[in-house]
Amino acid sequence: MIAAVRDFANRFLGRGDATITVPSFDGALKPNQKLEAAETLLTCESPADLATDDSKLFIADGRKLLSLNGSTASELRSFEQPISALCTLPGGGLAVALGGREVRVYANPAAEQPSTTFADAAFNAINALALADDNSLIATDGSATCGVDDWARDLLELNRSGRVYRLDHGNKSVTRLAQGLGYAFGACAHGNGMLVSESWRHRLALVSPGASPKIVLAHLPVYPSRLSKASSGGYWLTAFTARTQLVEFVLREPGYRRRMMAEIAPEHWVAPRLRSGRSFKEPMQGAHIKTMGVIKPWAPPRSYGLVIRLDADGQPLYSLHSRVDGINHGVVAAVEMGGDLVLIAKGPGRVLKLPLAGLAEEFRT
Amino acid sequence: MSDIALSLRKATKLYAGVPAIDGVDFDLRRGEIHALVGENGAGKSTLTKVMAGVVALTSGTMTVDGTEVAPKTPLEARNLGIAMVFQENSLVPTMTVAQNLFLGQEKFYNRLRGIYIAAQQFLQSLNFDVTPTATVSGLGAAKKQMVEIARAVLHRAKVIIFDEPTASLTPEEKKYFFDLVRDLKKRGVSIVFISHALEEALLLADRITVLRDGKHVVTDDVAKFDRAAIVQAMVGRDLSNTLYGARKSSVRPAGARVLTVQNLKMAPMVKNNSLSVFSGQITGVFGLVGAGRTETFKIVAGVLKRDFFHGGEILLHDQPVRYRVPAPAVKAGIAYVTEDRKVEGFFETSSIARNIYLGLLSKFPKGRMMLSRRETDAVGKSWIERLKVRAISDDGKVVELSGGNQQKVVIAKSLVQEPDLIIFDEPTRGVDVGAIVEIHELINRLADEGKAVVVISSYLPEIMALSDRILVSRQGKVVEEFSALEATEEKIMYAAIH
Repeated sequence: MIAAVRDFANRFLGRGDATITVPSFDGALKPNQKLEAAETLLTCESPADLATDDSKLFIADGRKLLSLNGSTASELRSFEQPISALCTLPGGGLAVALGGREVRVYANPAAEQPSTTFADAAFNAINALALADDNSLIATDGSATCGVDDWARDLLELNRSGRVYRLDHGNKSVTRLAQGLGYAFGACAHGNGMLVSESWRHRLALVSPGASPKIVLAHLPVYPSRLSKASSGGYWLTAFTARTQLVEFVLREPGYRRRMMAEIAPEHWVAPRLRSGRSFKEPMQGAHIKTMGVIKPWAPPRSYGLVIRLDADGQPLYSLHSRVDGINHGVVAAVEMGGDLVLIAKGPGRVLKLPLAGLAEEFRT
Repeated sequence: MSDIALSLRKATKLYAGVPAIDGVDFDLRRGEIHALVGENGAGKSTLTKVMAGVVALTSGTMTVDGTEVAPKTPLEARNLGIAMVFQENSLVPTMTVAQNLFLGQEKFYNRLRGIYIAAQQFLQSLNFDVTPTATVSGLGAAKKQMVEIARAVLHRAKVIIFDEPTASLTPEEKKYFFDLVRDLKKRGVSIVFISHALEEALLLADRITVLRDGKHVVTDDVAKFDRAAIVQAMVGRDLSNTLYGARKSSVRPAGARVLTVQNLKMAPMVKNNSLSVFSGQITGVFGLVGAGRTETFKIVAGVLKRDFFHGGEILLHDQPVRYRVPAPAVKAGIAYVTEDRKVEGFFETSSIARNIYLGLLSKFPKGRMMLSRRETDAVGKSWIERLKVRAISDDGKVVELSGGNQQKVVIAKSLVQEPDLIIFDEPTRGVDVGAIVEIHELINRLADEGKAVVVISSYLPEIMALSDRILVSRQGKVVEEFSALEATEEKIMYAAIH
């Protein structure tokens, strides 16, 4: 009863859980336009993930697995389902997640048959694969109810059903390391545990065997996604879009969300997107504000592009942005390769390359 | 008859030996609108106060219509035809508009109806839509401004001085105000107005005078200026470099995030303000007066309260906090060093040691009833030595100290709380040069020790000299962030104004 009264008071006064606030982009997250200056290596139909073995770059583009040599892309093979995650393995192997429900391990990218297939019935939205320190695979499963491409619904339903699995291709076993996560999307080995992105809770958590997740970085102004190791120590963390007060407000309005999801096409929901500004039907694109007696068109930002460089403790050092007026939005993967950072901007469907030489020094000054 | 309505020659005003204006020459032509611009502390208000008889010149001369004058009171200035409209208006809120208009001109027997009729006729002649019978407290800012102006015109002012006239006006009210000023100009009234909004100066004025560090920099026709030229004239200073040293060549890296302010609101001063403060760094917060800097951090420290409805969120070490009074904030490790030390900083007739020990009272253990005199003296003595407070004795009263040493006592009172987050609000205001250097060394030392330090200052050289990162505040929120290495005075000032 007291909780109900408190909840009502909080909603009335805009406090507690009903506080509609968003952290600012400042400090190491101070905006710039670095991602807009990145070179476009390739434009794809629906790039989903990247992986590298330091000599070749593998790109998951829908059902196709591409290999990029220089600026030339070649199709290595295709699958019966869209690829939702990629990971290179020691010894030239490759692991692919298909449709979010199955993980196949190949001895090499061209191998006809997978050496191991993990198709646990619980798999629903496997969206990232990473190598653990014992060479087993770590898979993050965003949601137990919504598919890989239906992540916006998972956010609007306030689901907290993300899971982390260890896939041991030695004994072909699947072990659940964590559950109840707010859309687990990306993992990376960190000591004897794993750093895991929780997109809907805007944080990074350290998942260790036999221990409850420990918060490493919280209150991010973005929805974090995949992680990869940086060659000079630390990590690259991508974020597929930024939080806005509008979406935070909608997340606190269950009736509105229910009707919106029932009556409006998903691409026009008030929800984060990987790209925006393509249709006047997008929510609020027809909005206006009146300033000094003059009506001006106005629309809140819906998409954003961001990569955060983290130190070895998971704390931000600097960040690369594509701001609201940019194009390279919806960054879902970033890997280092040959002194460059290669990224996927899923919004425009681009694979981007950004030279790393001098970048850290530039942000230090 | 000369074209010059009012002029000042070599005008100097010293406050406790420190020049607020220094050898300023100023001419105001008949029927012109003359804008005075400059940073906080540039001497704009002092110059206008001299004209309006609020303060007297230490040296120099003032002439009105070619006659040398020295008004010692506002009444004397008014008799010379000079009226000043203050930023915080000087109307009596409980009186009616008409009573305010005729205040000071009352006869032995006043017929209220007659006053109202006269006021009505006069206001109509000015085309001012104000009801003479309305109580002033019920009027909006623009209407109050109108009454002030009407009073100045009623007193047959030939010169009207406006101090930040548009600060509290809405855009529509501003437009109306500009029309009023232009109308006054047509009547031959000379106008001086102070404004931080440069576009207003460029839009309204015939000539602009820029003051810096109490000295005249330039006066010219408005056509000769653009925004960049005014900003350059406002901030280009040599004097500050000698005091605050060269530019920073390196900055401290950010540590953990200590404070996060998200969409904080306290109408009308703080509007949807968001910022972060990190440990091991000095975060400088710059802004012009009224930018909401002090209010934001007073809310953080529990001195002020945020809006009751949807007031935003404050996170200390990533945990939401809300302090209604300062004591729990102090316990949580937040220290706020006030900008107004005389009112909020100390008990001036208490001893230095007692004032320093005051800082510990919020952490006083429960159940303990008595203060230990020995402990108070020991704590006081230790901090007097650490901060090099120059006093005749440890028992000396704070009122006997110089401004710089008083400030050190206020700082010691905060540091004794062993805070993680220290907010210095104008830490060197009214402090002598020697103490400025010592206070700056102390602030740097705190950041080196890993504390999260915030320095709020209206003085650009101080911000540039101290900060590792600089947040610029404008109209109630942080609008720009600079690394100390990329910041220039022009960039900061541009962000603070536009």
